Amino acid sequence: MLSETETKLLGVMMMVIMLGMGASLTFKDFAIALRKPLGIIIGMVCQYGLMPLLAFLLATALALPPAYAIGLILMGCMPGGTTSNIFAYFSKGTLSLSILMTMSSTLLAIVMVPLTLGFYSSGIEGNWLIPRENVIQILFVLLVPTVIGIALRKWNSNVGAMVEMLGGLLGVLVILFLVVSWVPRNWQLLLDTGFPVYAASVGLGLCGFVLGYGLSRLLRQDSRRSRTIALETGIQNGPLAVLIVLLSFQGSQQQEVLLIPVLYSLFIVISSSFVTMWFRKLTTREEMARDQAKIGALAKA
Amino acid sequence: MHPTPGDTLDALNNPYDLRPWLGQYGKHIAVELPAPTHASLPQMMVAAAHRYADQTAFTTVMPNGMYGSLSYRQVNEKSDEFARYLRQVLGLHAGDRVAIQMPNCLSYPVVLLGVLKAGCVAVNTNPLYTATEMAHQFKDSGAKVVVVVDMFADKLQEALPKTDVKHVVITKVPEFFPALVGGVVHAVMKHWSNLVPKHSVQATSLPEALAKGRAAAKSGGPAVADWWQPLKHDTLALLQYTGGTTGVAKGAMLTHGNLLWNVAQMRAMCASHLEDGREVVLTALPLYHIFAFTVNFLCMFEAGARNVLVPSPRPIQNLQRAIENYKITWITGVNTLYNALLGEEWFSAFPPKHLKAAGGGGASMHGAVVERFEAMTGAPLVEGYGLTESSPVVCFQPLNVPRQKESIGIPAPMTDVRLIDDAGALVAVGQPGELIVRGPQLMQGYWQRPEATAEVMKDGWLHTGDVAVMDEKGTFKIVDRKKDMILVSGFNVYPNEIEEALSRHEGVLEAAVIGVPDGKTGEAVRAYVVKRDEALTAEALQAHCRALLTGYKLPARIEFRDELPKTAVGKILRRELRTAVLSAGAASHNTSNKG
Repeated sequence: MLSETETKLLGVMMMVIMLGMGASLTFKDFAIALRKPLGIIIGMVCQYGLMPLLAFLLATALALPPAYAIGLILMGCMPGGTTSNIFAYFSKGTLSLSILMTMSSTLLAIVMVPLTLGFYSSGIEGNWLIPRENVIQILFVLLVPTVIGIALRKWNSNVGAMVEMLGGLLGVLVILFLVVSWVPRNWQLLLDTGFPVYAASVGLGLCGFVLGYGLSRLLRQDSRRSRTIALETGIQNGPLAVLIVLLSFQGSQQQEVLLIPVLYSLFIVISSSFVTMWFRKLTTREEMARDQAKIGALAKA
Repeated sequence: MHPTPGDTLDALNNPYDLRPWLGQYGKHIAVELPAPTHASLPQMMVAAAHRYADQTAFTTVMPNGMYGSLSYRQVNEKSDEFARYLRQVLGLHAGDRVAIQMPNCLSYPVVLLGVLKAGCVAVNTNPLYTATEMAHQFKDSGAKVVVVVDMFADKLQEALPKTDVKHVVITKVPEFFPALVGGVVHAVMKHWSNLVPKHSVQATSLPEALAKGRAAAKSGGPAVADWWQPLKHDTLALLQYTGGTTGVAKGAMLTHGNLLWNVAQMRAMCASHLEDGREVVLTALPLYHIFAFTVNFLCMFEAGARNVLVPSPRPIQNLQRAIENYKITWITGVNTLYNALLGEEWFSAFPPKHLKAAGGGGASMHGAVVERFEAMTGAPLVEGYGLTESSPVVCFQPLNVPRQKESIGIPAPMTDVRLIDDAGALVAVGQPGELIVRGPQLMQGYWQRPEATAEVMKDGWLHTGDVAVMDEKGTFKIVDRKKDMILVSGFNVYPNEIEEALSRHEGVLEAAVIGVPDGKTGEAVRAYVVKRDEALTAEALQAHCRALLTGYKLPARIEFRDELPKTAVGKILRRELRTAVLSAGAASHNTSNKG
């Protein structure tokens, strides 16, 4: 369980992260993206179509108890995480697409999260439900810094770019903060936790990568864009889920629901790092092949 | 008196001296220009700095939109400090050479103006040079001081022992940025992008140099103006190296007068579209290149414009934030830059709204690119022609009258142009001949190379090596470089014409054409093409060419490439393609001999 102060601190950090995300884009970037919306549409289908369904299926298949099930479904319904942009950068993905997907899913969250969350958690016992008003309220509060971020960028691009960097940095720090403040205090809980919970926490991200990539390839996106969409789909906004849980539950109930979002946030950093290294290698190999073709053409000449 | 080319012909047969192009000058372009009233570049620039003191003179924009700016007053003050550093701290004398080697950044105007105020000669140096090229240029020019950007200090270290350089000043791309922003940009460049190599060059940082200059001012000494007031029109201002791709680079000697004249000529050509104190010019071409140096830097400084500097236009996306965040009214570029912009969605979706005009030069513009750019932005894209040896502007398309597109336009005021054949006789209107030029913007010669100078400067005329034709209205059109001409079965084929035809195909991004040895036809046309559309085939392109070109001009072979070799400003290097073919040919020849 996190203390009152820690919860408040997390809230403030989330606001800065959202401010940074807002500052990473201009209105023109949006307008341009909407001219060729297929990539974004695929991304949103992955984000709010595939992921919540995947979370629901995993919860059912692993027969998770209600506390864990609601945590997993909440995780699945979250918008894209801001750390995905950092991973997209390192994996030599299409950075602009990654940023746009995160931003679009965050803006859509205010409608889509209550909708998907309500739908997939309708079978869960009443006292484990997350009140819809809570979710909307939190998302709305986070929308404000996002819009301020966009405005900052427009007002002064130096301030905008600095805020963007600060937000990106905090995105990583928050996860570290969660791990450092939560894991040692819940060591026993981690030892007692059974396989299904771990499988769900790790599996949500991994299956997200696979499904995101598969759907993009099916819809004829090139391999580099597909890898970007894959990372974007698998990486959810973990800290946001944690914040929603903290503000919706109390005491031991809170601690139980919190387990999967925290484990997910922890493991997604690890699995994303591996996937990123792999994707980077693939992209580099493709680039090398193109170079090789050039050298071949020269030799032929 | 020496006979000048064409003197053997009478005036009726000399269509050039009648200056038929004056009919196209219209009411905006002055036919006669008075000699520039300013005695030197510093005098001109100090006057502008007083006139526009509080306006922004330069803004450097990084790819992520981070920026730093200097006002006219700041440029003036900091360049005074740098002049003092050179004269009082380093003890340089009037006429000493100072090499400047940096991409577009705020340090450039401060250092350049500082060098000129000190009465020294600036040596513009391409920062992408190899250590060998650097060593040659510094040794040849006798530079005593080098001001280099930290990104290339490691190569300088390699070159230094082979030169007479005594002092090195190091600057960085985000110099003069707000402290926090500059720190972040520098940290990212150094630790993230690995663009700042380690080096052990004994150097002073630019801020330190300026601080020493300020300290020197307090301890007395002459006024900075005492160093630049003696400068006159015939004082050497700049050594601008050229010809690096054809062999050993030579320094064109440009005086204060040459450059002041070219500024006046260029301003006269642009008068209808240039509002003093109101323009915002995008400088994506490097300032160390003569085109951006004179047009973007000197002209626009005198016009009180705000100069938006982009350190590197590659990838072309680096220009996005600069174009989005500032109300750009003028752009200068080369064909490859405009072509790249047209391919960017952010540019085609939101072309600059305030654009008044765009200028192209450096290499010939393709008609298709000009048409698409003008349709997209609604502003004229006028093409000009010039050489390092002529400061550089010789011709430009006029902005204010219906103009002959796909030409280099008409000679600038006070400039004479003639076309001559191999024997030195004038050619008739409509006939191709080598372009020769005379005017106050011509260099004094190549630095310490009288033979090379004598080869191109004959009786006051600069022989350009470019083949052109003139129509009855005095509009000139470059046919090609004399030495790039391809001889197919005795017919002259000019690569530009074939490249232009290829570029007209929708699926072609860019093309380069060269001549290769051929057993049957002597030389054969070969095309290298970068696709815009992956589905493009050589057969489809051949069919396209057959509709536009006669038989002997058709490419015998078309090869697809991912990119074409280019110079620092984006001119396609046909020579490099040809060298690759010739050496591969020689290699296969050797192999077959052995076999």
